[in-house]
Amino acid sequence: MAGFATKRLGKELSKINSNSLPPGIELVSADNFEEWFLDIRVLDNNPLYLNEIYRLKFRFSAQYPIEPPEVTFVKLADRPIPIHPHIYSNGIICLDLLGQQGWSPVQNVESVCMSLQSMLTGNSRNERPAGDEEFVRANRLRPKDIDFYYDDNNV
Amino acid sequence: MSKSQLLREEGNRHFQKGEYSRADALYSQALNLDPTNPTLYTNRAMARLRLSQWDLVISDCESCLGLSPDNLKAHYYLSQAQLALRAYSDALEHAYKAHKLCVAANDKSLGNITAQVLKCKKEKWDYEEKRRRRETADLEEEVLMLLRKEKKEAVVLSGEEAEELTREWEEKLRRVREVFEKAREKEERRREVPDWAVDDITFGFMVDPVITKTGKSYERAAILEHLRRSQTDPLTREPLQASELRPNLDLKQACSDFLEENGWAADW
Repeated sequence: MAGFATKRLGKELSKINSNSLPPGIELVSADNFEEWFLDIRVLDNNPLYLNEIYRLKFRFSAQYPIEPPEVTFVKLADRPIPIHPHIYSNGIICLDLLGQQGWSPVQNVESVCMSLQSMLTGNSRNERPAGDEEFVRANRLRPKDIDFYYDDNNV
Repeated sequence: MSKSQLLREEGNRHFQKGEYSRADALYSQALNLDPTNPTLYTNRAMARLRLSQWDLVISDCESCLGLSPDNLKAHYYLSQAQLALRAYSDALEHAYKAHKLCVAANDKSLGNITAQVLKCKKEKWDYEEKRRRRETADLEEEVLMLLRKEKKEAVVLSGEEAEELTREWEEKLRRVREVFEKAREKEERRREVPDWAVDDITFGFMVDPVITKTGKSYERAAILEHLRRSQTDPLTREPLQASELRPNLDLKQACSDFLEENGWAADW
């Protein structure tokens, strides 16, 4: 379907602009239909994430939303990478929702942000995924091509 | 390979390069040798579509349909040419035929053909809306003119009584303008697309909704595109096959009825 992604993203954007996003989620920029940036923060008092804001980068292919977007955290001076057993220190996120298997085209930018928000809210472990250092040093794959093993659904 | 096949392939090469006039000429030569080949007509119609030669597209498609009544491409190109010539009802009819054939053949062009159906409805509505607006504006002008004329005839005297009458007439004129203005505002305000008519995959207005086991409906072209990649229900991720989809006829009718009254919704 030609123009699938552009049309759909255009509509997501106009919805965001007219209805605004849920609390704790903010659109930073959406200058084109390839790359958007959003800020998220956790709404409760989870000490791991208190007073921090995190920057998300969405990359869309022409097949979005049939194909999942590539979503990563981006590190900036005032935007750290949140600590979480499923988030590598280079910003790559291991979440089945964003993988080839777990993705569904009824998901959208807003719902992905909300899932990530609740993934942080529900976490109490102050740790990175096992093998973080090694992964960050060695990984040259795009997040969508990494074959994560979703072994721990409780986190 | 026959001479006409060679000419056709040569035409295809020029078409790929964007040389549509050259392609058109080569298809014509091929047709001279093989005048009952439906594909040559749709090839030439395609080139002529790019050249905006709408009448010629129509005659090619009609020739093709004479030979092969269920030719998907001929209906599709015909619809595009008819739309360009503002023959809205004919364009919609052939877009629907193309859609039906496309579903039956499980052809990958379903997304584009679905878009063509919507485009026909949208442009038809735009055209009628423009006419409605013009007619309303004309009516408003006429009513105001008649009132001014009445006013002139009524206010013949001078003095206090005339002033009173003038005020009354001014008030009438103001109210008429207000009524027309309000009608226009109402028209603008009701422009909201109901969620039930929107496909959750493309966020587009639905033309041919199909329903899954979960009771949720999607645009046929969109859910088929998803199933090509992953045979799962988008909501539950349970296994889902294309053969399990069923048309949602009532929703289809409701979408169609809504669009009839609100053509702007086709590309909200």
